Amino acid sequence: MKRFYLIGFLLLMGFDTLAQISFKYAGTQALPVAASLEWVLRVFGQPWVYGAVIGYIGAFFTWMALLKHAPIGPAFAASHLEVVSVMLLSVWLFDERLNAARVLGAVAIIAGIVCLGMAESREHVAEPDVT
Amino acid sequence: MMSVAGSISPLVAGLWLLNIVLDTGGQLAFKAAAGDEAAGDGLARWKHMASRPWLWLGVASYAIEFLVWIAFLSLIPLSEGVLLGSINIVAIMVAGRFLFGEKLTRLRVAGILLVTLGVVIVGVGG
Repeated sequence: MKRFYLIGFLLLMGFDTLAQISFKYAGTQALPVAASLEWVLRVFGQPWVYGAVIGYIGAFFTWMALLKHAPIGPAFAASHLEVVSVMLLSVWLFDERLNAARVLGAVAIIAGIVCLGMAESREHVAEPDVT
Repeated sequence: MMSVAGSISPLVAGLWLLNIVLDTGGQLAFKAAAGDEAAGDGLARWKHMASRPWLWLGVASYAIEFLVWIAFLSLIPLSEGVLLGSINIVAIMVAGRFLFGEKLTRLRVAGILLVTLGVVIVGVGG
């Protein structure tokens, strides 16, 4: 079961990372943002949006398989460790600078995610499958 | 125009809020669909879920969120966007607490506070 979680979460992280990178490329190429059909057509008129679709669909089926066994909150938290991979890739791919606020914020967020993961492990030892 | 941080315009803030609502709503709908004890296994489980509204409510929320998130990310750096999006973790946990009675232990409260603190730091400091 542990291996099931590990593979599932890594797969989820991979799909989520692909989706975020694709979202950024798709959005940048569809600028300017407008609440209009033209904007939606610009979004779907270039290839990157389909990378996001693949990431989304992959993450969806991985997520539904995981949710059958894991409580929603902790599973959601584990899936959000993709912030690390996305941040590192955004420096490389989009020439973004990681300023002090972003690094400090990321450390607090990751620490929070780790706390939530630990809370899950404890609960699973004490009382498995509460929900 | 008043602005908390350099890059967060009212439009970006509005898209961020809309994303929280759609993401939390979608997740809760999926939880309601997947957590149904009467659903059975395998193909029967998917058929059962497809015949009830929860799965489709989740799919609809995700479809709209898809466009909202693309718009949001096109207006701010990706590294800032994904960090600000982490607030969804807090929203889903608080919602899970009230709707599904999921427990908020001290460790979970600490996690929620740390994630919130991180999002505030990124939001204020860019």
